[in-house]
Amino acid sequence: MDWAALSVSLRLAVLTSLMLLPFGLWLGRRLALSRSRLRAPCEALVALPLVMPPTVLGFYLMMAFSGEAPLGSLWASVTGTSLNFSFSGILLASLVVNVPFTVQPIQRAFEGIPAHLREAAWCSGLSAWQTLWRIELPLALPGVVSALALTFAHTLGEFGVILMVGGAIDGETRTLAISIYDHVQAFDESAAGVMSAMLLVLSFVTIGLVYGLTGRRRG
Amino acid sequence: MHQLLSRLGPCITAWVLALGLTAGVPAQAGAQTPAIAAASSLQFALPVLIERFEADTGSRLRVTYGASGNLQRQIQQGAPFELFLSADEARARDLESLGLTQGEGRDYAIGRLVWLQAKGLPLADDARPLGGVRDAIAAFDAGQGKPRIALANPLHAPYGVAAKEVLTRADLWTASEPLRVLGENVAQAAQFALASESRGGFAAYSLVAAPTLAERADYRLIPAQWHTPINQRMVLIKGASETSTAFFDWLMGDEAGEVLERFGFSRPDVE
Amino acid sequence: MSGARDAGLCVSLHQPGPIPLAADFTCAPGELLALVGPSGSGKTTLLRAIAGLYAPRTGRVECSGEAWFDHAAGINLTPQRRRVGLVFQDYALFPHFNAEANIAVALGHLPAHERRDQARLWLSRVRLEGLERRLPRELSGGQRQRVALARALAREPRVLLLDEPFSAVDQVTRRRLQRELAMLRERLNIPIVLVTHDLTEASALADRMCVLHGGRALQQDTPEAVFRYPESPEVARLLDRPNVFTGVVRNTEAGRRLEWGEWRLEVDRGIDDVAPGTTVTWYLPESDIVLHRRGRPSRGVRENLVSARVDELVVLGGISTVTLVFAHDRQPMRFDIATHASRRNGLAQGEWVDVSLLSSGIHVMDTDAPSTPVLEDMS
Repeated sequence: MDWAALSVSLRLAVLTSLMLLPFGLWLGRRLALSRSRLRAPCEALVALPLVMPPTVLGFYLMMAFSGEAPLGSLWASVTGTSLNFSFSGILLASLVVNVPFTVQPIQRAFEGIPAHLREAAWCSGLSAWQTLWRIELPLALPGVVSALALTFAHTLGEFGVILMVGGAIDGETRTLAISIYDHVQAFDESAAGVMSAMLLVLSFVTIGLVYGLTGRRRG
Repeated sequence: MHQLLSRLGPCITAWVLALGLTAGVPAQAGAQTPAIAAASSLQFALPVLIERFEADTGSRLRVTYGASGNLQRQIQQGAPFELFLSADEARARDLESLGLTQGEGRDYAIGRLVWLQAKGLPLADDARPLGGVRDAIAAFDAGQGKPRIALANPLHAPYGVAAKEVLTRADLWTASEPLRVLGENVAQAAQFALASESRGGFAAYSLVAAPTLAERADYRLIPAQWHTPINQRMVLIKGASETSTAFFDWLMGDEAGEVLERFGFSRPDVE
Repeated sequence: MSGARDAGLCVSLHQPGPIPLAADFTCAPGELLALVGPSGSGKTTLLRAIAGLYAPRTGRVECSGEAWFDHAAGINLTPQRRRVGLVFQDYALFPHFNAEANIAVALGHLPAHERRDQARLWLSRVRLEGLERRLPRELSGGQRQRVALARALAREPRVLLLDEPFSAVDQVTRRRLQRELAMLRERLNIPIVLVTHDLTEASALADRMCVLHGGRALQQDTPEAVFRYPESPEVARLLDRPNVFTGVVRNTEAGRRLEWGEWRLEVDRGIDDVAPGTTVTWYLPESDIVLHRRGRPSRGVRENLVSARVDELVVLGGISTVTLVFAHDRQPMRFDIATHASRRNGLAQGEWVDVSLLSSGIHVMDTDAPSTPVLEDMS
């Protein structure tokens, strides 16, 4: 068991899920309530990481993070380190890649709230904020938890993009998934097996949680 | 709603706690230990070397393996490696000429190419190590399937370049084209070579010297004259720490030389 | 917007699209105004505009003298500020709150420790004591609607708005809820606007009715007045009152008469100012059609006697619908009579009958209205 890699994977997954949450809440709700013509293009943009090949994503991110690009050089001048091959870099990459996994379940959850409920809340005297807090969020909560769980599970499994941007540096950017790959190459199948089993269990538990929550609604 | 929260609450708390614990367990220390980049042919030799070094000096190192070409590219793009052990001369010298290195590089080993195949397949004799390749081509031409021939990708891996040279010299490059499968680096090439779909492949001698491979594979050494010598060169990257520099020096020493020889490397003639 | 109406609701909303609106109406405190019309006539849009959930292109909504919406002055108060009570067609109860909590949401104007008791009080007023802890999904349709009503009233609103509140429940429950609304009304001294497509409900509950079509308010009056004196054939059609005919005003020795086919009808009012020779549209409510007994001309009622052939006789339980056709007018005359009466008179398809058209009931419509009779597909 490559503990360093497990730590990197878990840190990456937890941080990605938590950091994307406020953004996902805001954008998911905005999209759910919007009637503007910009809604469809925006949804397509959100869904893009889902359909793009990881190597394409990885390539673009790598270029954007490099010292010559605006983002990369800005980062370097502010922090003195490079984005590529660093934990911050793979975290940033992970945030980009996981946008659909956070935003979409939250959007579905808010879409599932009948419009009349918000209006009834307003007519009952609740301000927009109070309506959000007391009416909308509790009803959207299962979707929010789904989003967290899905993002977490997906980040654990993310491979191609992380490898390209991070470079598999021990303790810093080598995730559990990459470590499995390395161990297979080194003919260490038993270690690869242990780590794979752990990832499998983590993913299964997380997805089980998601389906358990949405199933509760259906029942 | 409150019912849902009250049942979920303890679950989520437990989950987060479990995560936090496991996430906290291993080293943040990892971030401080110097990182070195090594060619995949050192996959088995280097851990032993590092163990000895750590025993001798008490200092720790982290390694990332890969194809020399990939590692060189990453270093050029700013990857934080302090020492680069290439499987050839050219990549290391490239970095030197780009001014990214500290001090002079050193040739630390000479590698050898082997033909590698799974145990149980007919093994050609010493004098004709490419027999396996010829067998595969013959079988394919006769319509008896597609037995694969693995090698490292010549674009990134010096051992792949050597394999290509060997095949070309024996006039087998074109003929073997439909059967070739490329590994990202020489370790993956070895792995592919042992797959059930493969007749065999070209790997580094240092890999088969390891017990893990020795027990499941047969090999034949390829005569060194059949390809450009695999001179493995290492360089320190600018800003390397004391530990890395110490390791750099240690690798040229006798203890290191002994280990390298055990893994099939030979020392270059003194410069 | 007269002074007498200052204490109530005044609405004047106009826009060409996307939903066309052209409505002006008022509702006094304690009065129940029904907005009726077919689907798509803009009733719900108007209701939402009063509530502050929709802002039309131009117009004005005023309540008790306070401007809630005034496009020209750039005023558009939020629903919260307006203090309206809105009962939705689908109840819109918060699914994660029980009945008591649903009502408590509207009690934000009270201090926290009073809300629970007040919510319970409202529940008992709509006769749902004991059901405080039930979630909406554990309540029947009628119970949910009562909670929705209680929630709307708990707000102590300045206006009560009801959007087809009884359409989603069964007939029996609907009658019960209507009765309860009628009783609750006694105690409310605020304008109440009820949107419905059910004419019976409107005439039963409303003090005044506003007939809408395509966003236009066509007529506004008490239900009796609207049903007896529809302003135009269009209104008559919307009210499912088909007996609209055309006639020509003539001067005769006996006075001004309405010429209709071979008959000269006496009319109590409406033709004195009309120039002879003008074609007019006229309407007759069912109550003013008197069927004469077979073979026995009625002794009392002799006015405007006309004869026609029975074209159709549809028996629906105790009530039969009779359709008469006249030689000169394509528009048939239709009315309901008791089945036993139709049997006694030996009414059958093809038979000729005599009917009196009461002069007090003949209502001459605005002569500018389209003069082509509104033929209905009687199928």
